[in-house]
Amino acid sequence: MILLAILLIPILTGLLLLPFRKAKLVRSIALASSILNLLLTLILAFSPETSAFHVNWINYMGINFSLGYDGISLIMLLLTNLLFPFILLAGFGREQRNVHLLNFLILFAQSALIGVFLAQNAFLFYVFWELALIPVYFILLIWGGDGRKSITFKFFIYTLTGSLFLLFGIIYLYQLTPGMHTTDFAAFNQLNIPTGTQVWLFWILFIAFAIKMPVFPFHTWQPPTYNMASTQGVMILAGVMTKMGIYGALRFLFPIVPSGVLFWQNTVIILSLIGVVYASIIAFRKTNLKMLIAFSSMAHISLMVTAMFVLNTYALQGLLFQVMSHGVTIVALFYLTSLLKEKTGTIELPQMGGLKLQAPNMAVLFLIVVLGSIALPLTAGFVGEFLMIAGIFKQSAWFAAIGGLTMIFGAIYMLFAYQRAMLGDKKLVYSKLTDVHTLDYLILIPLIVIILGLGIYPQPLFNLMGQTIHSAENILKPLVEGALILKTN
Amino acid sequence: MVEPIPNINLALLVPALPLLGFLITGLGYKRFKNNQAGIIASTSIGLSFLVSVFLFFVLRNSGQDAATVTLFNWIAVGNMNIPFAFLIDHLSLTMMLIITGVGSLIHIYSIGYMHGDNRINSFFAQMNLFTFSMLLLVMGANYLVLFIGWEGVGLCSYLLIGFWFKNPSFNYAARKAFIINRIGDLGFILGIILLFFSFNSVSFSEVFAQASTMQIGTPVITAITLLLLVGAVGKSAQIPLFTWLPDAMAGPTPVSALIHAATMVTAGIYMIARSSILYNLAPITLNVIIVIGLSTAILAAIIGLKQNDIKKVLAYSTVSQLGYMFLALGLGAYSTAVFHVTTHAFFKALLFLGAGSIIHAMGGEQDIRKMGGLRKKMPVTYWTFLAGTLAISGIPPFSGFFSKDMILVKAFEHNIIIYILALAGALLTCFYMFRLLYLVFFREQRLAGAHPHESPKVMTIPLIILGILSVFGGFLNIPSLFGGDLSFSNFLQKNVFSKVSEEISHSTEIGLIILSLSLLSLIIWLAYRTFIRKAVVPAADGVSMTPIARLVTNKFYIDEIYTTVFEKPFGSFSNFLFKKVETNILNPIVDGVGEATSVLGMLTRRLQRGNMSFYFFAMVAGILLFIIFILTI
Amino acid sequence: MKDISSAIQLIPLEHYILLCVTLFSIGLMGVLFRRNTIIILMCIELMFNSINLLVAAFSAYHSDPSGQVFVFFVMIVAAAEVAVGLSILVMMKRNVDSVDINLLNRLKW
Repeated sequence: MILLAILLIPILTGLLLLPFRKAKLVRSIALASSILNLLLTLILAFSPETSAFHVNWINYMGINFSLGYDGISLIMLLLTNLLFPFILLAGFGREQRNVHLLNFLILFAQSALIGVFLAQNAFLFYVFWELALIPVYFILLIWGGDGRKSITFKFFIYTLTGSLFLLFGIIYLYQLTPGMHTTDFAAFNQLNIPTGTQVWLFWILFIAFAIKMPVFPFHTWQPPTYNMASTQGVMILAGVMTKMGIYGALRFLFPIVPSGVLFWQNTVIILSLIGVVYASIIAFRKTNLKMLIAFSSMAHISLMVTAMFVLNTYALQGLLFQVMSHGVTIVALFYLTSLLKEKTGTIELPQMGGLKLQAPNMAVLFLIVVLGSIALPLTAGFVGEFLMIAGIFKQSAWFAAIGGLTMIFGAIYMLFAYQRAMLGDKKLVYSKLTDVHTLDYLILIPLIVIILGLGIYPQPLFNLMGQTIHSAENILKPLVEGALILKTN
Repeated sequence: MVEPIPNINLALLVPALPLLGFLITGLGYKRFKNNQAGIIASTSIGLSFLVSVFLFFVLRNSGQDAATVTLFNWIAVGNMNIPFAFLIDHLSLTMMLIITGVGSLIHIYSIGYMHGDNRINSFFAQMNLFTFSMLLLVMGANYLVLFIGWEGVGLCSYLLIGFWFKNPSFNYAARKAFIINRIGDLGFILGIILLFFSFNSVSFSEVFAQASTMQIGTPVITAITLLLLVGAVGKSAQIPLFTWLPDAMAGPTPVSALIHAATMVTAGIYMIARSSILYNLAPITLNVIIVIGLSTAILAAIIGLKQNDIKKVLAYSTVSQLGYMFLALGLGAYSTAVFHVTTHAFFKALLFLGAGSIIHAMGGEQDIRKMGGLRKKMPVTYWTFLAGTLAISGIPPFSGFFSKDMILVKAFEHNIIIYILALAGALLTCFYMFRLLYLVFFREQRLAGAHPHESPKVMTIPLIILGILSVFGGFLNIPSLFGGDLSFSNFLQKNVFSKVSEEISHSTEIGLIILSLSLLSLIIWLAYRTFIRKAVVPAADGVSMTPIARLVTNKFYIDEIYTTVFEKPFGSFSNFLFKKVETNILNPIVDGVGEATSVLGMLTRRLQRGNMSFYFFAMVAGILLFIIFILTI
Repeated sequence: MKDISSAIQLIPLEHYILLCVTLFSIGLMGVLFRRNTIIILMCIELMFNSINLLVAAFSAYHSDPSGQVFVFFVMIVAAAEVAVGLSILVMMKRNVDSVDINLLNRLKW
């Protein structure tokens, strides 16, 4: 029941908000509901017994409305419900059109995302997967920046095209299930698909996730979309929606088409390593701060995809840890970017400079978040990246060396960005420039505390996700055995 | 089970105090006035030093060689179990004493030097963080905790080098330092990972216990040591990653002293000395270290000959001295290297702080061509600086003599060519240091209008203390030749495993010392003749020079080469990727799919013009085709 | 009734088929090539009736009355359809003063 509550609280609150017109009231209610949801999630995470929810939905087709979770879902759920209060908080005190609608859409997106992470049935997963796109589409379209129409359209069509393949894959798997057909993951996981089929089925399933994450070369929608999106839009996109792709890949590929994964393993690893280097190098010359962070996010996600496909426990643990840390860091980074934009009226780095003179506290906060994003030890990013690189190293030292280049490249472009924005002499006198306000502290300080806290003492997350270790190993075990069979043959 | 040593948990205080100092000065930076922040910061380091001294006696009285203090489990995943633990042994205690001892002197000095700077509070916060990181580095009980400190000092050096952030070139220097360090760090972390997979642990005790049973020349050990070496080369500013250190003098002078003497650059030496067991197993790596160390020592010394910025000369001398330490490491004389770290910490901190005092007195002027005649006006600075110069040049009985001579002797044992090259480097060091000394303190003042004055007591007292240490520091480790018992080396010997080499006879050693001493006197005389008698002042910038002189003055164009070979192509490659690949290849492909759809739409649209006759015709044709199709089956 | 059946059966079935195909083809050609909507509607009727005739003939030959029932259905539907078609035609005449079928392309979106 608690799962159903977590799923429905946001959307119901959102619907409730629609008649209200007072911005502050709307925002407060939305925030309160998301905090309530976070508390419920924490209760769920800490409670020893597991919870599930099951209703037959479309009976004759074997489609069930069944919610459940394992360690992987739990991390995703925790991340989602952790970030949404901050995303909602980011709207406070700002000029926005149609606040009630915006908050409704954000909460709608939250529900859909939670649905994705909780669904135990592939069809249900697909429904939520597509449902999540709708509110985000409108958030981008209505509250976005320049060029929003064409960019949003491209984003929508691109992701939708990917999803089409996923739907096809689900239907294909559905008709493979024995006896009374069903789309339950449990049934899919039992399937024994011939290797030849898995080889092509892999891509049918992977494309949707590859576009969402995004993996090189399916990334072209991402930087312009991030650049154009409103603060809250980009926080949802970069913080949570990219993780949908990772989650989907973990949920679909590894248990269902393990041989396909083994067959394409190196291809995907090489593609994502290209993505790491490619995105990092491009980020170096970007003068638009949002674009720069978009490319840096792509580099980090690419490293996560690499880690996903090296198929060992270290990499997978690191990946799941990094899901959390990347989500928190990138949300903080984008929030700071929007602060910069508010205070200076631009996100072009060459036009900034010397902000530290006028806003020293903002500079410090920005620096800490930047350091988190370049994985300095004692920030959460380090734990994740270290484990991932260690896992990748187990596969191949060269892959690890290339993946590790993020460390160097990240330092190069993030520090360059920091220096160009914050340091140097004053370029312009920003008359309205003030240092960070209480509201900004309310958002940034908790995020920074999480970044540092997880970096200094990551064990609670590993312990909390005790199940993750098991589920990660459960996913990997058949795969590793499969790999052994392949090698001996 | 070893008995826990009483009071050993006090070791936690050593890094905790600077951290506390950092938090107090960092969070409350708006509240402190005048020198309050400086006093808090200095006190925290000073207390930390006292605790270290206490620990020294605790460990000595306990009769044990090492103790581990575990805080909590940091990362525990799968087989990986990395505790956040500190290792207190002779090596880390030595380093802790250097860091906190020299560090606190530098902090005290900074109170005077930074007086009046409007960001003095955050300066002290960062200095404390720097010391804290370095303490983590030397105290970590495993490679990953060491790595925290390793990256931490990189970060703090970045912050402090770019402390005066209004100046873009300072920011550039800061970024350069951080990035070059990160290049090394990548090798280092890969080394740690390989180490973990080879030994299933990253903790020193377990790794070394396993390694001690391994064969010399095991390939995986060679790989590990080489990767770790990459990190050390970056951090300790060796060829090819040394270019950041001379630029690092962009920071306030006490920062340079901290970077060059107590923290940061010695990290690489410490790490290799700590891993001595591994390095002993990898003769190839040791040879690489010898080559790197020796070439760095000589190259930096040559560049130092032609520098005219007082801090740059000292910076290149640090690079050169670090080269000697590397040489010692490569020769397997780890404790000698650590001994040179110690003496170097004394005299280099002294020299930098002295330079700071001079710059302070000259009103920010750093060009030695404009100084001169400061001997009378700044007697304390002069006498201490002289002590430092004599020490770094290796004149007995100053501290540098003992450590450097030991390295030279070890080199002689190993290979005569290495000895000759190392000796040549030492002579060059002597020459440029005396050049510096003569130009700054002797003859008449060349900058008109400046009124140099001796620095305040808060600055001179640290100088005097360091001066005393520079003079007598060498007595920590008197070789048997002079009737000593190498107490320092023996102290370290329990945790650092130097390769045993055959002892050379005392007569040979005396011969070597006489040789080097006579050459050194010759060099000093030469410098005296050039800069005092002939009063040669280095030519102003822009005056034409011989090609070789120009090459040396421009530091062999190494920075320029790096810029052309790495930085610029990287930038243009970035542009290429975005403008060509992203915009002209990848995007068109995706957009092309959309385009194709709409072109297809345009084509099919033509069929739907609303022309009824055409519809009828199409319908009939379709039916006919269908019938034909049915019939043919 | 029996007489009619036998009368029909006097003529060979091939002749009916031939006649009906001819009539159908004439109607089809008319639909395809004429532009006047009235004529097109009439041609459609012609095609209907040729089919009706054929169905009736088959029904008689096979002595199965259901075919003739179908003929009535078809005629009723055709009548209704002609009513709709003619009313469209009247509207078209009123609005554009023409019954040229190609003018209907204005109806496209």
